[in-house]
Amino acid sequence: MADTPAMYEQHRSKEEILSGFTTVEQLEADTAKLRELACAACAETWADRSAGQTPHCRFGEEGICCRICSMGPCRVTKKAARGICGADEHAIAGRHYLRMAAAGSAAHSDHAREIAYVLRQASPTGSFPIRDEEKLLSLAAEWGIPAAGRDIYDVAHEVAEAGLNEFGKPFGTQRFLSRATRERQALWEKEGLAPRAIDREVSASLHMTHMGNTAEPEPLVRQSLRVGLADGYGGSMISTFFSDILFGTPTARASEANLGVLEAEMVNLIVHGHDPVFSEMVVLAAEEKEMADHAKSLGAKGINVVGLCCTANEVAMRHGVRMAGNFLQQENVILTGAAEAVCVDVQCIFPALGPLAGCFHTKFITSSPVARIPGSIYMPFEPDTALEQARAIVKLAVENFVNRDPAKVFIPSHKQPAAVGYPTEQIIRELDGVTNSHVDERGSYMPAIDSIKAGVLRGAVAMVGCNNPKVRPDYSHIEIMKTLIRSDILIVATGCAAQAAAKAGLLSKDAKYMCGAGLRRVCELVGIPPVLHMGACVDISRMMLLVNEIANDWGVDVTRLPIVGCAPEWMSEKAVAIANYVVATGIDTYLGIEPQVKGSAEMMRLITEGTRKITGAGYIINTDPHALVQAMIDGIEQKRALLGI
Amino acid sequence: MRLLFDRIFQGADEMLALAEQALAAAVAEIGESAPVNMPNTAYFLANHSAYLKKNIRTIGDLNAAFPEVKRWHQREQRLENVFNTGFATFMAAEVIEACKYAVSADPYNGEYHGHLSDAEVRELGVPLVTGDIPGFVVIIGPAPSDEEAAELIKGYQSRAIFVFLIGGVIDQAKRMGVATGFPVRVVAVGPDIWQTAHIISFVNRAAMIFGAVTPGDREGFDHYTFHRIRAFVNAFDPVADIVAACGAGAIAMGFPVVTNDEKDMWPVPKSLIIQPASEDFIETSLEARDIRIKITKIDIPVAYSTAFEGEIVRRHDMQLDIDGSRVDCCELVTTKQPHEIEDHEITLIGPDFEEFEQGSRVCLCYVAEVAGKTMQADFEPVFERRIHDFVNRAEGVMHTGQRDNLRIRVSKDAFAAGFRARHIGEILYAAIKSDYESVVDKCAIKIYTRPEDCREIRALAQAVYEKRDERLAALTDESVDVFYDCILCQSFSPAHVCVVTPERLGLCGAVSWLDAKAANELDPNGACHKVTKERVVDEHLGIWEDVNETVKEASHGNLEQVTLYSIMVDPMTSCGCFECICGIEPLSNGVVIVHREHTGMTPLGMTFSEMASMTGGGVQTPGFMGHGKQFISSRKFMRGEGGPARIVWMPKALKEMVSAKLNAAAKELYGLEDFSALIADESVTEDVETLMEYLAEKEHPVLGMEPLM
Repeated sequence: MADTPAMYEQHRSKEEILSGFTTVEQLEADTAKLRELACAACAETWADRSAGQTPHCRFGEEGICCRICSMGPCRVTKKAARGICGADEHAIAGRHYLRMAAAGSAAHSDHAREIAYVLRQASPTGSFPIRDEEKLLSLAAEWGIPAAGRDIYDVAHEVAEAGLNEFGKPFGTQRFLSRATRERQALWEKEGLAPRAIDREVSASLHMTHMGNTAEPEPLVRQSLRVGLADGYGGSMISTFFSDILFGTPTARASEANLGVLEAEMVNLIVHGHDPVFSEMVVLAAEEKEMADHAKSLGAKGINVVGLCCTANEVAMRHGVRMAGNFLQQENVILTGAAEAVCVDVQCIFPALGPLAGCFHTKFITSSPVARIPGSIYMPFEPDTALEQARAIVKLAVENFVNRDPAKVFIPSHKQPAAVGYPTEQIIRELDGVTNSHVDERGSYMPAIDSIKAGVLRGAVAMVGCNNPKVRPDYSHIEIMKTLIRSDILIVATGCAAQAAAKAGLLSKDAKYMCGAGLRRVCELVGIPPVLHMGACVDISRMMLLVNEIANDWGVDVTRLPIVGCAPEWMSEKAVAIANYVVATGIDTYLGIEPQVKGSAEMMRLITEGTRKITGAGYIINTDPHALVQAMIDGIEQKRALLGI
Repeated sequence: MRLLFDRIFQGADEMLALAEQALAAAVAEIGESAPVNMPNTAYFLANHSAYLKKNIRTIGDLNAAFPEVKRWHQREQRLENVFNTGFATFMAAEVIEACKYAVSADPYNGEYHGHLSDAEVRELGVPLVTGDIPGFVVIIGPAPSDEEAAELIKGYQSRAIFVFLIGGVIDQAKRMGVATGFPVRVVAVGPDIWQTAHIISFVNRAAMIFGAVTPGDREGFDHYTFHRIRAFVNAFDPVADIVAACGAGAIAMGFPVVTNDEKDMWPVPKSLIIQPASEDFIETSLEARDIRIKITKIDIPVAYSTAFEGEIVRRHDMQLDIDGSRVDCCELVTTKQPHEIEDHEITLIGPDFEEFEQGSRVCLCYVAEVAGKTMQADFEPVFERRIHDFVNRAEGVMHTGQRDNLRIRVSKDAFAAGFRARHIGEILYAAIKSDYESVVDKCAIKIYTRPEDCREIRALAQAVYEKRDERLAALTDESVDVFYDCILCQSFSPAHVCVVTPERLGLCGAVSWLDAKAANELDPNGACHKVTKERVVDEHLGIWEDVNETVKEASHGNLEQVTLYSIMVDPMTSCGCFECICGIEPLSNGVVIVHREHTGMTPLGMTFSEMASMTGGGVQTPGFMGHGKQFISSRKFMRGEGGPARIVWMPKALKEMVSAKLNAAAKELYGLEDFSALIADESVTEDVETLMEYLAEKEHPVLGMEPLM
């Protein structure tokens, strides 16, 4: 008998599908409704505080206010061209810039170190067993750690120690640099950019910027690149790989995104932050039958664990846990009045959540000594008893359900389906699906490369970064992504950019209908959405692997590829570290928020043009998202022309 | 290296220039008012119709549309433009071909097939949905050698892939003696690349006929061809720019192109595949279009494929003529107890083929004995009716008829290759076991070739046939508890659903109530499902609430209500592959019925194709209805409007096919003798005035009936 009819997709009209996507205006209307609720509860949100902070201090914004020693603060004005020590605007802006990069690198890397310690303690009977042995063994082989005939946990512990040594080793450079193309490695070596121990690069950055040290901007910019690389090919990559070993390498799975994932009749438990170690346990504990029964006994229909920020990205791509939103959505979740508990780990957590939770029944739980916040219940995470602790948190949330005030509940209905979980391994698997066994090799990026060479795809963009009230939140992300996919440019996304895409429906497979014919055809044949979710911001390390491997398969260096990066709404110091390692990798980076160096013409020149002479790439800055995306498209076409394609 | 998109744009320029010349020449030669008509189609120039939503009737229309065709060709380096340019190329190709057909009704003089008729599109409906034709290939060539061309064509044929040939490969096939023609599923379309317009027209008409895609709905056409038409292209080196431009259109439709040309060629996954080893084209192509061929491994010395179903063995090519009309022949499926038979035992009783003289007429009977825990006697005729297809698929073996009026011709070539009586057994065994594996645990075949045995077996078989016919006659819509729906065609016509009853078989003619019952029992999750008929709304028109619920669900909400016995009130829909189309003739208050094979005019002023285009694709059109041939003599045919007495005109050939049963029905329903003689045909008239005179002269009962509208 022939194919059964069920295998055929029913034809829905394109108009019908397109009308189903969530617009920025709808997102904003939901936020506006929630702000009304906030007023009623006498709470404030970032929008109120942002208004209070505007206009921002010009000296701070332009990076020419120096607070490094107690002779100051000093600021550069027309009348006073130098600080007390004689540092000019270039030195002040350059030092500030490097300190941001160092702080960002420190944050990602310290997160990685936590995970490395967990891996060091992994045991088959404890809270943290090994879930991806294959990845562990391949990493052991890569690092020359013997595995044959050994207990897998012995291998894991040795790999963890080797990873921990990357932070403080006295000699040599980062192990993962070897994953870059040969040209890149040679260039880093030649330019003195190859990062040594991660902690050393952070320390050296702080040292260089100490009072009375480097005042010349170019070395500061070079060190920014180097400390950035210590993050991208050090901390972040260690974090990503160790997380995969512990929790499993993500695979493509279905999820949903936006506030509509909160359930009116269930216990809503929100995990928020960046480090998946604790949230993994919370997800597991919430799945236990006893917990669900307990919730039912208290009148709830069950337990609904959802994520916020990058913790959401981590658990979504490993468990399909649904995503309530990105950075500037964190207060909205509590404002729904339906959040029984918000459990946070590290990074990007508003201190505002403490007082805000106090206006509702929400329990606000902090778990890391790195992120202690007033108004929270502090339950410091212990790897040995992690599951027990997680159960206690779930129980707290469940028992808080009865305290919910129905009069305060408003859950906006918008949500969108999202296909998440496309690490490099999954992308290769998807691409294998369109190879032809009679002519093609499997396990490479050639299908994507061929599509780009032929012109079906024009190129690719890595969309990353945060939300920032300086621009219309999510608008830049979504507008840029829509324009790119309409122009046959494939997107890989992480962090808050990925979540913005998810809220707008751009991670759904139906988003192919928003694409140009080329990207749409690729989506149809491969069976992927046009925006590939690669994970949390720490997973930009996966993007670095992706571009280096594509460059290797293509046979050209990274900087020649028609691939660029974009952070249209960035705000954190981590973003500065990321931007630096992306540029160091040879990828042009398009920014929608100006780095705080504008007071120094020399620094502006260095970060946009100066780095080009060193790494082949630089920043292109434009606060107008439409102009920014056009610049990206032009940049990609220019790279194509240089390749003769 | 030249960019792929630039090559395509260049190729489109060439095709558009040729079209412009052809148009100018046609305007000069026959003038703007000259009609443009492709033969036997109700869809005008289907490509113009599909993409431009324009019904082209004259050279002037064609000329007026041409600037719009040109606008589809834009040059920005985006796939969107490349796809549109591909369609512009197809429309330009259609312009060239349409001008030819405007000047001459038969421009190819039989040498090439050229335009494909609507009937040919409809004929492929059933084999496509059943998977008997797993896909189409368009071969554009010449191949590197004549031998390779023949091997490629035969390779596809043996996998039942429908083959279209364009260009030099046609002469290669000719030189190698490869038979071509629609029935053998190898169509020599034409010598030049612009004849691809006919293939694209064929595909676009399939979308309109089966998919109810409306002209101008670009998204609808793309979706239909991408998801439902399993076609692909093999283009031999050198691929000129103009061929690349056509390839762009093919890829836009979802049809991958496989080529051995490596110069200035850019691979695109699953779309444009460079396979330097052209001997691997078949496997590469099937994988590219996700076509999995069901392999029925049969131990016979000749090729076996549905592609050979249409093959004819002529008298002078014939080794043996097994002729049931002159000598005792029969075929029978019978149920046995498992212990009574040995699986795969094939027994020949009597002399084998080599013992008969070449060209001689011989008797032959075969009995397939089947056993299985869930086997039912009701499945026997279902299996038995498939024997025609099973045997016919062997290369060089032609099977016609059924039961004891079967006829099998074995060609000299097949005989020379070693085909013997036992191989008929091998075919039956393999086909029954593979198609009915869920009920047939064991199967054995007995073949008889001695006249005295054949006489005895035939008599035995006749008794079985008679009993079965009695059972069939007793099967009425009232006597059964359930009907069946059939959504087999939804792979092709997503909004259509058939309701199959004992007195109303599926409109394709291929699914009777017993077939549907068997299909449901063989695979409850398959295409046929039980439909209860407990909550009657109107028994006369044939309306049941339960039936409506099923129809609504199975048509994905497309239909709310159907009547089973009326053509005027919510008639049952069609997929498009119906055997006959019935349409009302307002003057006489009667109906005209035409079968697919009839290409002539009817008194409605419409051909089969034109009438057929009124319905199909799951759309309800009161006054028009597609149905199976056998339904004509059913007591339920148009019962709501008074029954078969409404029939005023049928083609002679169709009348001959159904007259015996129709006359019996008319006798029973109206007490009329020889009713079919009252029905006009093309030998009487093709116009309505003469038809009225004829009906009056014959005192046709329709004249005394209520008005239809």
